[in-house]
Amino acid sequence: MNILEAREITKRYTIGDRQVPVLDGVSLTVMNGEFVVVEGRSGSGKSTLLSLLSGLDRPTYGRVFIEGQDITDLSEDELAPVRNGTIGFVFQSFHLVPSLTTLENVIFPAELRGDPDALKKGEELLRRVGLLERGGNFPHQLSGGEKQRCAICRAMINDPKVIFADEPTGNLDSENGRAVLELLLKLREERKTTLVLVTHDMEISKMADRIVTLKDGIITGERRHAQ
Amino acid sequence: MLNSRFIRRELTSSPQQSIILVLCVALSMVTLVSLGGFSESVDSSLLRDARALHAGDIIVHSNYDLSSPLSEAISSLRRKGMIDAVRVYEFYSLVRAPDREGSILGDLKVVETGYPFYGTVELRSGRSFRDTLQKGGIIVEENLLGRLGLKVGDRVKIGSATLTILDVVTKEPDRPVNIFSLGPRIFISAEDLNEIDLVKKGSRVMYKALLKVHDERDLETVAADLSKTAMKGQEHVETFKTSESRIKRFFDNLLFFMSLIGIFTLLLAGIGIQSALTSFLREREKTVAIMKALGGTGRFITSNFAVIVSILGITGTILGLLISFSLQGFFPVLFRGILPGDVVPVISWSAVLQGIALGVMVVALFTFLPLYRLEDVKPASILGREEIRSKRGLLYYSVFAAALILSTVMVVWRFGEVKTGLYFVSGTIALIIISSLGAEFILLFMKKADVRSLALRQAFRGLFRPGNSTRAIIITLTASLTVISAIYLIELNLDADFIRSYPADAPNLFFLDIQPSQKDEFARTLGIKTEYYPVVRARIASINGEPVNPQDEQRRVGDDLTREFNLTYRDYLLSDEKIIKGKGLYMDGWDGLQVSVLDTVLKMRGLKIGDSITFNIQGVPLEARVSSIRTRIKASIQPFFYFVFPEKSLMDAPQTIFSAVRVEKERIPGLQNLMVSRFPNVSAIDMTEMVSLFSRVMGRLSVIARFFTLFGVVAGVLIVISSVLATRYARIQEAVYFKILGARSTFVLTVFALENIILGIVSAIFALIFAQVATWIVCKKVLEIPFTLFTGTSLIIILSAIFLATTTGLLASISVLRQRPVIFLREETKE
Repeated sequence: MNILEAREITKRYTIGDRQVPVLDGVSLTVMNGEFVVVEGRSGSGKSTLLSLLSGLDRPTYGRVFIEGQDITDLSEDELAPVRNGTIGFVFQSFHLVPSLTTLENVIFPAELRGDPDALKKGEELLRRVGLLERGGNFPHQLSGGEKQRCAICRAMINDPKVIFADEPTGNLDSENGRAVLELLLKLREERKTTLVLVTHDMEISKMADRIVTLKDGIITGERRHAQ
Repeated sequence: MLNSRFIRRELTSSPQQSIILVLCVALSMVTLVSLGGFSESVDSSLLRDARALHAGDIIVHSNYDLSSPLSEAISSLRRKGMIDAVRVYEFYSLVRAPDREGSILGDLKVVETGYPFYGTVELRSGRSFRDTLQKGGIIVEENLLGRLGLKVGDRVKIGSATLTILDVVTKEPDRPVNIFSLGPRIFISAEDLNEIDLVKKGSRVMYKALLKVHDERDLETVAADLSKTAMKGQEHVETFKTSESRIKRFFDNLLFFMSLIGIFTLLLAGIGIQSALTSFLREREKTVAIMKALGGTGRFITSNFAVIVSILGITGTILGLLISFSLQGFFPVLFRGILPGDVVPVISWSAVLQGIALGVMVVALFTFLPLYRLEDVKPASILGREEIRSKRGLLYYSVFAAALILSTVMVVWRFGEVKTGLYFVSGTIALIIISSLGAEFILLFMKKADVRSLALRQAFRGLFRPGNSTRAIIITLTASLTVISAIYLIELNLDADFIRSYPADAPNLFFLDIQPSQKDEFARTLGIKTEYYPVVRARIASINGEPVNPQDEQRRVGDDLTREFNLTYRDYLLSDEKIIKGKGLYMDGWDGLQVSVLDTVLKMRGLKIGDSITFNIQGVPLEARVSSIRTRIKASIQPFFYFVFPEKSLMDAPQTIFSAVRVEKERIPGLQNLMVSRFPNVSAIDMTEMVSLFSRVMGRLSVIARFFTLFGVVAGVLIVISSVLATRYARIQEAVYFKILGARSTFVLTVFALENIILGIVSAIFALIFAQVATWIVCKKVLEIPFTLFTGTSLIIILSAIFLATTTGLLASISVLRQRPVIFLREETKE
């Protein structure tokens, strides 16, 4: 079953009196449980594609479906339950709430939906990633790798169907980046979560089930990774 | 060194913070400058012409008829052609229409032809006062016509005479405002003095002689000569230069009190300036770090920012001056009922210079520390979001101390008195310190509180957001709300306990100036059983042989020993009195005159049993020993006397009788008419009406005080806005993250609203507690009236503060709430 579907999505930004095309008629489907990497050089439109697939942004033309639901025209509030329960995000810049501790950042999405076991789940996730002792620290007290691990836990806490990761290792050194990626993939494997990951790192691409290549806003290639 | 392009760009890059800073500077000076200018306007419109204010060059006045030597001295000067002189008699008496019920207390002024020597009494008809006021006629204030339902040409009964209303007075040179008057003005020709038959021995009359010297060079000599002839302590001779007008004193005191509020607002606005500038510079920390990383020195950075701050300061000062001038135009409306409407606003250059000096000083004092903080920004902070912690070294504390000292000096200079100035500064600092401590306590509690509600928890966290001026907001809102609430609560207490709830058993109709010979017939006519109090007017000449010093006494706040006292005589205690020192009212076995003293006198001078007081009763000295100290068991509107003598001792002294009765309100006008028609010299005063008049004046003054205190609240509001703007990035970030993680807009709105509601609640509760304590102190210790909490009003104050903080915070946050996540994330990723 297709968990994600993008039909002929086009995105143009208006800058001054010019229209700048970023994506042009991109169509894409992602199957349930699949690990898809969107690769391409800087400026190819891969982050924009991610933001459209995840509902963070709206396409100029085209439709986007998550679990069969057309999310293209949903308002921010209508997208809220989708963001809270169906999808999770991991960003390059972590984007942790600075005024919350590590544990509080992790359990926040669960608390939003009123999960009585939020704290238990959060602690378990942090233990899994080796951050339980840092649960009381604030983001500015964590290293880059620790922040990203915290962000992964946060993305996972509500057992989402899809994780969107935008260059999750982009701000990390190679060792931390490798560790974070392994963690992400391991958790994804355990929970059978669909993962759509944007990167320009070829090494990461090799681990994907499918690789979609973007260039100048259009898909120029799609290949399956040899098992 | 200075980079004009950088300065220009920085000034325009965050217009909102710049505007807040400018407004805070303007606010710091607006009250003081506008009041300074207004004071000059009042001076020039009403008070500058001291001659007109006194209607003469030399003013001789006494509560008794002028003594023969003095009268003869004046006549002699007239015969020599050195002066012109007119006699003036001022007193209150009931005025009634002959053919109908209803009378009112009139403020009578009997004048000889020639009055006034300076200034003009303006009449509605436009005619000349001197030509219009004739024997058999009166000129009245418009108010009298309205209240008695009369018109020009009608007749009124005053004392034993029936007089015709000739015209209406619209302006009086020596009485520019009528706030002190208990009734409408009535001018009567001195030729009718005998006809009205109200000026008798013992009557409560102000006797005046106004003199105009023909040669100005004789002014001082004439005044000095007359002073030598005048009876000491009873008759006073002053020139227009030396005599202090009561009006002027009132306005000096009123404007002085308002300028206290202005200084208070200045301090709060100073906190606003510091807070706004801190926020302004915090947004530029990255810029400063980059500049330092590129080789910019601390001096380069600080001097450029100092120029930016100076430009904003100058703009704020100019704006403050403009607002001050505009505000002055509004003052005649604000002071209506206290001032006549024709006070012309003038531009006071001394107030302008003072305003500029204030603006410079306030900006310099309150911006130094935020600018100093720029030294602590390190280039490495580009790479992280580490909090910059300022080192608080010697320079920091020196500047802080300098700011405190300068502020104190300014306040003391404004007061003109060191002790009172220090009290004010101490009180303000105490209020700020207690507010700070309270804020710290509450914030500590919130930090540790385990709250279930997610939104409330986030709101608590928001209060600790870096850059949030939580403490400054709480302190400023608390301080300003405390003052404004205290003023209002004191007014409510006065109104309820003194004015509105006039005791059911208290006398409401007072009769003054009953002559001793009239007492029996008066009592028969009145037909109500009541107490009659003999009143002998006297002054205190000395205590234990030491003369009373007028200068020392007049410097005292409150009552003083130089005024005239009402002595009485009886051999019993009143029902609401008790002896607190002494064996009884008087001592057995003592020789000589004795006097029982009310404990209130001890607040003016410490006295003990056996001390001697020398009184001056119309020039006759009378020494008496203190035989007991009394106190009043309860505050009530019953007559009471500071000095009580044994019955036999003062029976033969010149005196009048005073009495008071309680009657139904509907009976008052009829009874007033009856008694005054039979005894025209007697003043019958409806106390409930007097109390109502007092209430109106108090209400007016309270409105004025509260208006000026509002500026302090504005300072608090500006800090709230500044704080929201300063933390805009962090708020957007939070709002975006919440939305990305699945929160709805209502959740985000709730969190921000709760944050501001908490600020409002904390500030309001602190303010209310402080205000209630201050009100209790004023009611119990100063005014000596009962104290009421007014829980309903207190609740309204709390709700108003919450509404104010919440609305301000949310309005300033609207753009944050509308921010779309993707745009923020895109910007972040680019960085």
